[in-house]
Amino acid sequence: MHKQSTQDPMRLGFLTALEIPKRGHVAGLLVTNHFGRPLEFQCTTPVKPNRTQELLYGPTLVPFILGDLLSRTLLEKVGVKPQLVLTDSPDMLELRNYVSIPVACLIEDDTTSHSTVVQRSVDSVQTVKLGLHHFAVHPAHQKDLGVLRDRTTGFADTVDLSEPLDRVREALQETMSAGAAA
Amino acid sequence: MSGGGMSNRSLARPADGMNEFSQAEVPGIEDTTPPCRRPTAVELNIAAECQPVSLDLSADIFAAGINGALQRFPTVECQSIAILDKGFTIPSWKPYWPKVPTFGLTFPEGMEFLPAETESDAKSDEKLRHIEGPQRPDSEGATPAKRKLTRLKPAGDDLSIEDRLFYLLQPPLETWLKGQELIMPFEPFPYQYEGIGWLFAQKSALLADEMGLGKTMQTITAVRLLLRSGQIRRVLLICPKPLIPNWQREFKLWAEELPVVTVEGDSARRRMIWSMPNTPILMANYELLVRDFEAMSADEFPRFDLVVLDEAQRIKNRESLTSSTARSVPRKRSWALTGTPIENRPAELASLYEFLEVIPPRGTPDLRQLTQLAETYILRRTKDLVLTDLPPRLDRDEYLDLAPSQKRAYEIAEKEGVIQLDEMGESITIQHVFELVLRLKQITNFDPLTGESAKLDRLIADMEEISASGGKAILFSQWTRCLDWLKERLGEYGSLIYHGGVPSKKREGILTQFKEDPDSHLLLMSYGTGAVGLNLQFAGYVFLFDRWWNPAVEDQAINRAHRIGQKNPVIVTKFISKDTIEERIDRVLQQKRELFAAILGEGDNTNVSLSLNASEIFSLFDLKARSGKGTKTIGPEEPKAGDKDAA
Repeated sequence: MHKQSTQDPMRLGFLTALEIPKRGHVAGLLVTNHFGRPLEFQCTTPVKPNRTQELLYGPTLVPFILGDLLSRTLLEKVGVKPQLVLTDSPDMLELRNYVSIPVACLIEDDTTSHSTVVQRSVDSVQTVKLGLHHFAVHPAHQKDLGVLRDRTTGFADTVDLSEPLDRVREALQETMSAGAAA
Repeated sequence: MSGGGMSNRSLARPADGMNEFSQAEVPGIEDTTPPCRRPTAVELNIAAECQPVSLDLSADIFAAGINGALQRFPTVECQSIAILDKGFTIPSWKPYWPKVPTFGLTFPEGMEFLPAETESDAKSDEKLRHIEGPQRPDSEGATPAKRKLTRLKPAGDDLSIEDRLFYLLQPPLETWLKGQELIMPFEPFPYQYEGIGWLFAQKSALLADEMGLGKTMQTITAVRLLLRSGQIRRVLLICPKPLIPNWQREFKLWAEELPVVTVEGDSARRRMIWSMPNTPILMANYELLVRDFEAMSADEFPRFDLVVLDEAQRIKNRESLTSSTARSVPRKRSWALTGTPIENRPAELASLYEFLEVIPPRGTPDLRQLTQLAETYILRRTKDLVLTDLPPRLDRDEYLDLAPSQKRAYEIAEKEGVIQLDEMGESITIQHVFELVLRLKQITNFDPLTGESAKLDRLIADMEEISASGGKAILFSQWTRCLDWLKERLGEYGSLIYHGGVPSKKREGILTQFKEDPDSHLLLMSYGTGAVGLNLQFAGYVFLFDRWWNPAVEDQAINRAHRIGQKNPVIVTKFISKDTIEERIDRVLQQKRELFAAILGEGDNTNVSLSLNASEIFSLFDLKARSGKGTKTIGPEEPKAGDKDAA
């Protein structure tokens, strides 16, 4: 009567990062099926740049750590590859320069949501609306907007794609407090 | 090593005027040394005072720290260093970031079931199901507050980080269940979401919600989620036999895609069913569980990921065969469902805890430990706390004067009975007293000689009004003979009988007729058969024609009607004959209702109570217990669903 799970038509990656005081940045990637059910989770250990790195990278340090060092590591490490990565950190859009799948960043257009989401006017950037939220892509990959639209045609207008990012943050805090990824 | 401000090198140099230190006697010394400073006056003075000594000295170091036995000069070379013509550079810096370690978790692949096909499904194509999500607040500003989502929480702090992450990363139940991956026919209440999430994370759980709050639905949904997420693959559900159809119906309603197999048929067929490996949900009644497991050796016992006991008060006696058999089923998770975790004694909880494997075998936790365990392993909500929108239950105790012939019959029976008991002296037992109680209670229902009944008169008056308004009522009695007697006299209200004497196959039809027949206004039920598991929320009136010994059982009966889905207030009428044994029993039971509230928490003083014990029964007639075993409970066995006759 039942059959084993087959390949899901859509796998979403939800990518976010936290800055842990005195320990640096840590990032997590949750891959879900198109219903939001988790398939795989990967998180990094905290990465803290030294003084030299801070001086020499300057303002590019955080985008490098989040978008290149951590995000790329996670995406390489994860066994269930997502077909689309959603994040709430604009620094993580940098990942798109190293991978071939679309990466989109949640654009907050109201003031009621959590503070980790970047506050930005929806009108100032080209965005695509997925469910309840608007998403932007890397300036150098504007074609991804069309890909996003195509791949999310089954999504209802009321789906909340920011919710899985809350789960990732909670999981990161749990791993940090448990020392699993220390 | 230096002493007195002189370096070794200065001591090693030959001093002027010292023949022993001529160049000729120290070959190999080239005069390439740069000009050295002259010895100081102190040094010269020391040299002048020295006597010639042999150079063949040991290399001992004097206490002053001067090595006076050097036998050769050190080689001293001087080199000139060219002036630097270009500056040094530190090695060039290249960005280096060590490989970042990661920590990962792969989720088990859950079972997927073919959805039950409906007509609309048959016509639809393979497109993705439209995903529903939380509704966006409207733009008017006067939006309702964002609904709090129910997140799964790991149970306890002793779980591994993998297990904790498994729960934390699951989607909120509302998103999981609301028209996305799983279809729910009705939106659960918030407290039901909480219950589902709690069950999902518990390996040992006693869901003790008050009757009517949806334990069945919460259990089915939690099982469904566990199967879908790959946490379990084989479930055994044990329930009283009359409730099997009810569970089948509820599974069909809440999880129609789940295949449920009921253990039934002859022994060979049942053995085959028990050994079927790929049945996600097996359902069996308590009697068959005991019988079939007795026929198997321990190594033949089927293994389950989850065993659920419905109406788990059936194992409150840990010595019983049913209890020991339930405990012997190999399993990873143990859930128990009951609206009355304590009916008589706190010790009954210990038996349930033993099944849940949260106390060691034969463990006897004290009251404090029971309370502590309850905080972790029991989830109990009452209607008052969670169903603020459920129509109220209006209780009215109808104190009735006996009809004249009833009164005469009662007085004679009581007088003669008490005299007989007194005459028995020390040989009196609680059974003798109990028989008198039963006889008197039956007379309060109706006079067996004349058929006069104050209760019947009052009931007819109420039923006229109820039938005129198209309402429906349920009546409970302890005696099937009384129910049959009532049916003969209440035919004009379309009375139907539902008790242990009615064959199981006919029962569903009776319930359906009562629900759908507009001329059927009254369902006569025994406590034993009708008190548990049935959904009769379309009835707005409940009559307790006579009283059971335990208010918990009465509440179970009342909650057949006063439960989720009820849209109107439920009027509960309890008939109590004045100045009779009924009034005295009611008074005793009322005083005992609050005794166990401390164990199960606030707001929980309506569904637990003690049955009468021997002392209390004796005191009904101003007699003293002769046996000295004042705490022994008497009274009939609790009604078991499916009993032939409740009394």
